[in-house]
Amino acid sequence: MAYRCNVLLCTCTMCVSVGALKIKSKLEEEVKRFNLENEVQIISTGSSWLCTKGPTLIVQPDDIVYQLLKEKDIPNLVEEHLLKGRPVHSLMYIHPEELHPIEKLQDIPFYHDQRLIALWNRGIIDPDEIDEYIARDGYKALVKVLQNMTPEDVIQEIKDSGLRGRGGGGFPTGLKWEFCRKNPGSPKYLICNADEGDPGAFMDRSIIEADPHSLIEGMLLAAYAIGAEKGYVYVRSEYPLAIKRLDGAIIKAREYGLLGKGVFGSDFNFDVEIFRGAGAFVCGEETSLIHSIEGEPAEPRQRPPFPVEKGLFGSPTNINNVETLSCLPRIINFGAKWFAKIGTEKSKGTKVFSLAGKINNAGLVEVPMGITLREMVFKIGGGIPNRKKFKAVQTGGPSGGVIPESMLDLPIDYERLQEAGAIMGSGGMIVMDEDDCMVDIARYFIEFTRDESCGKCSSCREGLDAMYEILTNICKGNGKDGDIEFLEELGEATINASMCGLGKSAPNPVLTSIRHFRDEYVAHIRDKKCPAKSCVDLIEYSVDQEKCTGCFICNVNCPTNAIIGEKKKPQTIDKSKCIKCSVCFEVCRFDAIKVG
Amino acid sequence: MSNKKVGSVLVIGAGIAGIQSSLDLANSGFKVYLLEQTPAIGGTMAQLDKTFPTNDCAMCIVSPKLVDCGRHPNIEIITNAELGKVFGEAGNFKVEVKKNPRYVDEDKCTGCAACTQNCPVSIALYPVEKISILLKKDDADKVDAILKEFKDKKGSLMPILQSITREYNYLPEDILKYISQKLDISLAKIYQIATFYNAFSLKPKGKYTVNVCFGTACYIKGGNRILEAFERELGITMGNTTEDLIFGLETISCFGCCGQAPVVTVNEDIYGHFRVTQVPKLIKKYREEESAKTKA
Repeated sequence: MAYRCNVLLCTCTMCVSVGALKIKSKLEEEVKRFNLENEVQIISTGSSWLCTKGPTLIVQPDDIVYQLLKEKDIPNLVEEHLLKGRPVHSLMYIHPEELHPIEKLQDIPFYHDQRLIALWNRGIIDPDEIDEYIARDGYKALVKVLQNMTPEDVIQEIKDSGLRGRGGGGFPTGLKWEFCRKNPGSPKYLICNADEGDPGAFMDRSIIEADPHSLIEGMLLAAYAIGAEKGYVYVRSEYPLAIKRLDGAIIKAREYGLLGKGVFGSDFNFDVEIFRGAGAFVCGEETSLIHSIEGEPAEPRQRPPFPVEKGLFGSPTNINNVETLSCLPRIINFGAKWFAKIGTEKSKGTKVFSLAGKINNAGLVEVPMGITLREMVFKIGGGIPNRKKFKAVQTGGPSGGVIPESMLDLPIDYERLQEAGAIMGSGGMIVMDEDDCMVDIARYFIEFTRDESCGKCSSCREGLDAMYEILTNICKGNGKDGDIEFLEELGEATINASMCGLGKSAPNPVLTSIRHFRDEYVAHIRDKKCPAKSCVDLIEYSVDQEKCTGCFICNVNCPTNAIIGEKKKPQTIDKSKCIKCSVCFEVCRFDAIKVG
Repeated sequence: MSNKKVGSVLVIGAGIAGIQSSLDLANSGFKVYLLEQTPAIGGTMAQLDKTFPTNDCAMCIVSPKLVDCGRHPNIEIITNAELGKVFGEAGNFKVEVKKNPRYVDEDKCTGCAACTQNCPVSIALYPVEKISILLKKDDADKVDAILKEFKDKKGSLMPILQSITREYNYLPEDILKYISQKLDISLAKIYQIATFYNAFSLKPKGKYTVNVCFGTACYIKGGNRILEAFERELGITMGNTTEDLIFGLETISCFGCCGQAPVVTVNEDIYGHFRVTQVPKLIKKYREEESAKTKA
């Protein structure tokens, strides 16, 4: 049946968290009320675009975007736009500087500079419908490979494309496949690493939620190239929706004969199994991940032998990241030359980043390699909210580092980020403004890695613990002279003596923040002051007597009754009772609570 | 019993700490008996590559001490032995030591290891202790059904524990013992897996688990303050359950909902753009839901 228009409603985890499912049922109800069921089709998609502006929907064929929807907006929207054909301007994206509504998706600056390869189908198809994926050239690459290419041809094609591992390491994918293929051991295994443990990263979750079949097709291509018949997808247990969608997609693919024995009637067999993680960051490291699937304690082991030589159950095993695998169908369809034209000399193609933190347009971004951080933050990201000053961007999660404003013109590629002390990592990118204390952020990351360290290497186990203690003391105002130097020494030792990626990179946030923000450390240690006014033990709350109107809202909300005063008169804070919970600061509408 | 203090010391365990203590004591003139369960002294340090934080080679530190220990006239090494009963009081102990047979003539063996390499069988150094436990009929049926599902799969311990957690909300001790007995896996190994991952708990969890996201984006937008507010509201600290077993409070490293930061979840429900001031309302909502359920 042909519909007059399609309504694409994003139903990713984020949009669901702000009520996308309620909006969907309301939409269906309203469409029915106006008897538009035969004209308007409502499609649930995944991870469509700007995640902070959710729930969002796109009306096709005009590609008109609505954002920040509420249930009560829907009747008006359906009547005005879907029935009468008049787009509703009040629900559209507002340009942060020009302050006028933008109608079309392509005209929004956030969307304009993106180039979609791994996220080819994001927000366009219903992830639960395999036919919609096939209609967007899905499984075409698989047919091409099975009919016209030998596994060696596929490996050569990927080598020519210059694709490198998107999980963070940046190892050339084609080369890894070749090692695995040439290894005489059998059977061979393919593992997709979707254990996205980095706090602040959501690329893998979004890809699986929006387009699970791209991942399955990518796995089929990789398995054909290396000669594997069995694949695992290791997904975090924190991603229930992604697991559900992938599971549905695998069942559908089996029904269509795309997985299982004799794929497309050829003699190539391949099947995929989902393995749920159980909440351990170290499982993102490949040897730990293998141990975890084997049912062993998830501790890393010494490499070599690498997994391509001796991996899962002692067999050669190829491990790729979700994003790496999701790029493959497009590379095979459009050719290695097309892919190699995009990006920089050593880093080809595009990279998906999850832009989050203190930024106007937080969301999933896929850009060509070589774009500068400034473009990412200020053009695509739309700058910092509330006219605050940009301070730093943190890439690569707890393994990466902070990049200050002076280095914002750095082009993004594997080598350049490494030179700056940060890493590409899986693609988490957290923007921080002047209110964020770099010592506290470093302490936060070390606390995380300290908890997640498996404890096998004493350097990682004890070193991170020692660093955490020093950083906590500094944040409490108990820092001593020489702490900074000792932190640097401890960090270097931990990097040198640890075995796996976790310990080797965990001190990075501390080392880079010392490198770029040493003065903040000094202010904490020498002056006992937190310049960003974020460390609880070094700040005090007080009421601005001139601004306070005596509206009493802070007094009512204070959990310890520390705010004293009469109604309609300026309030005061009893500092002996104040626990610095910041509730008064949040509820005050007159900007009368001072922090300092 | 005589009150005369005897100048000899028993050190239990010949790892680096035991060796160093023995050497210090022996050099101060005490007669030292160094007891070790395994066939050789050295412990874990002898197996390490480097030591923290100086990155010195571990073997370079430990091997001179091994030699010193071995030839010190005041140290008597008793390997392959276990401590039995201890009598007496501080200053005058008597102990029973059980020395296991070595079946090798210690005077003649040079430690060339040729026999080790050529021995056709290998045995576990510490035999697995057999546990036998009986579960209630319905518990046993449930667990048997789960075990049957994963019967022929390699490395199925983690999925089994996940299924048990789904069924019981936590990992009851008796059931872990039962699994150990059924699958012939040592209980220590099951505990090792069960305590390694954040998703497993050995204590019963609350009906509603409040999870505060501690991802970077949520943290810089005040995730820690939200956690503190929940701790105040529920009167428990992170990782614990309220006494009535209704609420549990936990943090999670990242939900991947960074665009809606800060994020809080209660069981399957996700709340984005969460604010400290919403905490009391949210808890009230679930308390009401729970009391409505119990009434019905």
